[in-house]
Formats: sequence, structure tokens, C-alpha cells
Amino acid sequence: MTDTAPIVGPGRWRDLTVATAAYVLPVIFVLLPLAAFFVYSFFSVQGVQLVREPTLLNYRRFFADEIFLPVFLRTCWLCLKVAALTVLLGYPVAYLLAALKGRKKYVLLLLLLVPLLMSYIIKIYAIRSILGGTGFLNRFLMWLGVIDEPSMLFVYNLNAVLLTLTVLLLPFAILPIFLSLERIPRRLLEASSDLGGSGWQTFQLVILPLSLPGVIAAATFVFVLALGDFLTPQMVGGQSGFTFGRIIFSQFGAAFNWPFGAALSAILAAAVMVAIVIGARFGNRAAARGGSA
Amino acid sequence: MKSSNILLELQGVSKSYGTVKVLEAVDLAVRDGEFITILGPSGSGKTTILRMIGGFTQPSSGHILLDGQDIVALPINRRPFNTVFQDYALFPHMTVAANVGYGLRVRGETRAEIGRRVTEALALVQLGDLADRYPAQLSGGQRQRVALARAIICQPRLILLDEPLAALDVALRRQMQEFLKEIQRQIRTTFLFVTHDQEEAIAMADRICVMNEGRILQLGTAHDVYYRPTSEFVARFFGENNLIEGRLEDSQGEWRWIATPIGRLRCAIDGQAELATAASGRRAFAAFRPESVAAGPPAPDSNQVEGAVTQVSFGGASTSISLAVGEGGRTSLRLRWPSRAEGVSISPGQRLAAHWRPADCRLVLA
Repeated sequence: MTDTAPIVGPGRWRDLTVATAAYVLPVIFVLLPLAAFFVYSFFSVQGVQLVREPTLLNYRRFFADEIFLPVFLRTCWLCLKVAALTVLLGYPVAYLLAALKGRKKYVLLLLLLVPLLMSYIIKIYAIRSILGGTGFLNRFLMWLGVIDEPSMLFVYNLNAVLLTLTVLLLPFAILPIFLSLERIPRRLLEASSDLGGSGWQTFQLVILPLSLPGVIAAATFVFVLALGDFLTPQMVGGQSGFTFGRIIFSQFGAAFNWPFGAALSAILAAAVMVAIVIGARFGNRAAARGGSA
Repeated sequence: MKSSNILLELQGVSKSYGTVKVLEAVDLAVRDGEFITILGPSGSGKTTILRMIGGFTQPSSGHILLDGQDIVALPINRRPFNTVFQDYALFPHMTVAANVGYGLRVRGETRAEIGRRVTEALALVQLGDLADRYPAQLSGGQRQRVALARAIICQPRLILLDEPLAALDVALRRQMQEFLKEIQRQIRTTFLFVTHDQEEAIAMADRICVMNEGRILQLGTAHDVYYRPTSEFVARFFGENNLIEGRLEDSQGEWRWIATPIGRLRCAIDGQAELATAASGRRAFAAFRPESVAAGPPAPDSNQVEGAVTQVSFGGASTSISLAVGEGGRTSLRLRWPSRAEGVSISPGQRLAAHWRPADCRLVLA
């Protein structure tokens, strides 16, 4: 045996174990359940009995029935609006954060991220009580004299879902935008001013294009998270705020049709993947240009 | 072509961060059309001066005058100066052409005018065929030239260069030095060049301003600063030098003697009142360049020493020789002679008589 053998031996074993764990764990805990679900989507239900015979019936039903496709498209549209709103609201916040100096910046950033540590359900309850008939928003508007009696415009409908998702997902938009703004070298802003650029021109021609990868990442994040959410529409959506997530949820609950729920989930997963691919595409193009100088 | 009109003047400019003084009452006049280099070690305040002129930093006190008008309150984007940054600071999301045209674009020039002048500027820096590339696709030297083209396109009154060659390798740096000098000659714009590399300063500058610890120590032509240093720091910092400490003797016309451990040395004072009138017995240095010291029969008035050779080292164009002189050989002199193919006929241990002219021996007050 050479001197190096005892060192290489265990090292190689450890590497192998780590590599195995790195691949095996995701396979067991992520890929297998997903695959099982996918398989389920080709089964059907008769009464309360699961029929394990492959069929495309579930997918056909999605396209044939006049409920599912419109709800799906309406949900996608809603999530796009949420993504747009969070980016529009999140950008100025991220910009101000990035412009701060030293410790203040990170303390404020941390405060912004605190809601992420809170329970999702508690946050939804809190927002619901703000939006509700006797909630803060209505009382504030009445105090201002904008409305005379409590409006039900903000609760138990799609507006409520839109507002709640926007508030809940805002941190996911702020963070990537903040990071992309942070990465812009100060020198570039100095160079822009040096060449005669005003503050607005510097923003428009240098800062905004260079932060675009962050904006796209933020929009993708929020869109995907909003698309998969069923709890928010369930709790603030009421009768009219019906989303695709809720339909899937009901298939596993009230309707007790797991195979159809699985098929709808597969369709949702496909939509999510398309969103991620498009986002990555745009993001890469923006990042390629924004690469190191 | 070159006038000695003052373009820019710094009057008593100071800068401090908290209790740390970065610049102390700096006065500097930049002449229109000259290539002036600010030379100093890191932390000397040279970059701070450049950033203040550019408008990136505000002076704590003092005035910066352009054509006699104070511009301290003028924002960066309204100053008629452009900067070539150390890391070039090219916009990574824009092509070379868009980078170069940026200054014209924000001024609202027409597309046609921008196109025409970008082509012109790129031709000047010999990058015409790279207009559509992105900065990430360029080499260091090419980025450098893009940064230069971007700075000159708006025809600024003054171009500020912040150690722009520091990131380049030696051969490329030489080439860029000549290139920059040539461009400056062609566009006849004033260049203010900051560097810590004295060879670079000598190679390019009309005038060199040597700085240390927030003060300007000397301002003059390269020749002046090299042969007539006025302070110990400049004498040591600027090229290789022999500095022998001693005490001044009485003044004698155009020469002045200084008593040192290696003997009395006769030094030139070049009619400088400060050197002529300095009190006898005052501490001072005799400073003379290694290449000024010769062997062989001395001229009548020369300074002479004898010592033992301790080291001979071949350095390409020249060969350096170390000579232990004075009592017990405790003082070491450096000599530098042109190299020859057959080598220098001197070897360590050998005794050597060396001499140098008083004209090459400069007095520097301690």
C-alpha cells in the first residue's frame, strides 16, 4: 500500500456517499411522488373505487368541459396581474433599499423579510380583516369620505385574491430586484453622470436595463407561487374568486376524484414549467448583456 | 500650439474624512493643452484630486476654478470634463458604439450626428471594426481604447485618467502610453493622468506633480523632478538614487559643500535661494544618480570615493554595481553602467575608485 491509499480510499467513499445522497434523496422525496401523481392522472374513478386502467379521459375532460379551461386561463391572467403588481410595487422599494448605505440597508431588508417567517394562514387572516366589511380599508375610505357605506369590493372576490396575493408575495419580488440592483457597480453610475447623464437618464439607460434580470426573476417567482396557491383564494376568494388551485383542491376533497385532480395538477405543473422556461430565457438574454465588463 | 493659459486651478483644496486628512491645502494650476501627471504612492491623495475635479467628491474646503470660475457647486454631469476610469466602467449592456455614443445621446444629439461622431472616435482609437461588440467580448487593451473614445467624443475641456493602464501587462502598457500621448497630441485636449508608476509618468507627462500624504511635494518637468528633487521623498521615490546624509558647510557661490561619512562632497545649488541660504550645520542629503557615478581618472572638481565592490548584477540594458564606501565600508553606493556583451570587468571584492561631477550631485534639505 502506498502512503496516499488510506487517504484516497475513504475520501472516495465519502464522495460517493455524498453524491448518492445528493441524487437519491431528491429522487425519493421529489421525483417519485411527482411520478406517482402523474401515473394517477391516467387512472379513473368509479363511485368511490379507483380504476387502475390507463385512460386519457381526465385530460380530455379538462379541454372538453366548459368550466376548467376558462378558470385555468382566468387564473393565469390573475397571476400575471399579481406578478406585474408585485414588480411595480417592489421595484421602488428595492431601489430605495439599494440606495441606502451601510447597516440601515440590511436592517430594513431584514424587516421586509420578517413576514416570510410568519405562518401563511395568519397572514391571510390578517389581510382578510383589513379588507373585510368592517376592516381597516373600508373604515379608512369612509373616513376619507370616498364611500358612504362599507364596500364589499375588496373581499370574497377575485379583487381580494389579487390584493392578498400581491401583499403576500411582495417580498419575493423585492429580493431578486434588490440583489440585481446591488450588483450594479457604482462606477457605472458615476460614468453615466460623468458623460453628462442626468439622474433620470442614468436610471433609464443604465440602472433599469441592468436590473432587468432581477425583474424577470421576480416576476417568474411570483407568478409561479401565485399559480400554485389555493389557500389564499379559498380564504378570501368567496364564491366568485374561484381559481384553478381551488378546483384541484376540491378534486382531492369534496369531489374525491384523485385521478382528475392529478391530471389538473399535471397541467398546472406544465404551465409553471413554461413560465420558468420563458423567465429563464428572458433572464439569460438580459444577463448575457449585463455580464461582466 | 501649447499655450500656458491656466485652464483649471485648485486653490487651497483640502479633504478630510472625519479626522483623517486626505488632502491638505493643495494648490495646483493645470495649463491648457498640457499632459499633466499626478504621481504618488497609494494613499497620497492623487485619486482624490482627480475625483474632486470630476465632481465625484466634494472638497472639505478650497476652490476649484475653471477659466477663473468656481465649479465646486457644479454637478458632475454639468462639468465639461470626462473621465477614463481605472476599471474602464464600460456599460456592459451596450455595444461599443452605444458606449462611445452615450455622452452624445444624453445630450440629445440626432442619431445621424451620433453615428458620424462615433465612427470618427472609433477610427481615432483604431477600433472601427468592433463597433457592434459588447465590452465582455473585448480584450483589456480594447476596453481601454473604448473608454478613451467614450471620454473624448464630447470634446471635453479636460480628460481625467485614473490609473487607466494599471490593469494591463507591461508590453501593452508601453504601447498604450505611446498611444495615449499620440491621441493627446492629435486632439489637443488637456490630459490629467493619475498614476503610481514613475516610469509611466516620465514617459508621458509634460509636467509631473509628485504627491505624498495629501500634499504636493514637487511640480515640474520629468527632467526637473528627476535631476532636481526638492525633498527627500521625491529623491527616493522617483527613480533610483544615492542619498548620503550629512551636514551643510558654508555657502560658496554656485557650490555648497556637505560633510558626510564618505567625505566632503561638493553639490550644485542651481542658484536656488533656499539651498544657498540654508544655515550651516543643517542636516541635508547629497543626492546623485547611480548612472552619474563613473570609474577611472576623475576630473579636477569631481567628488571622489574609493571602496570595495560588493555586488555586480546584470539588469539588461544596464549593470548595477554596489560599492561599500566610507569608514568600515558602512555606506553602500549604487552605480549603474551600460551593459556590454563582454560583461563588466569588475567583480565583487575588487577595490574601485569612483567619481561624479558636482553638477550631478544635488543638495536636498532634510
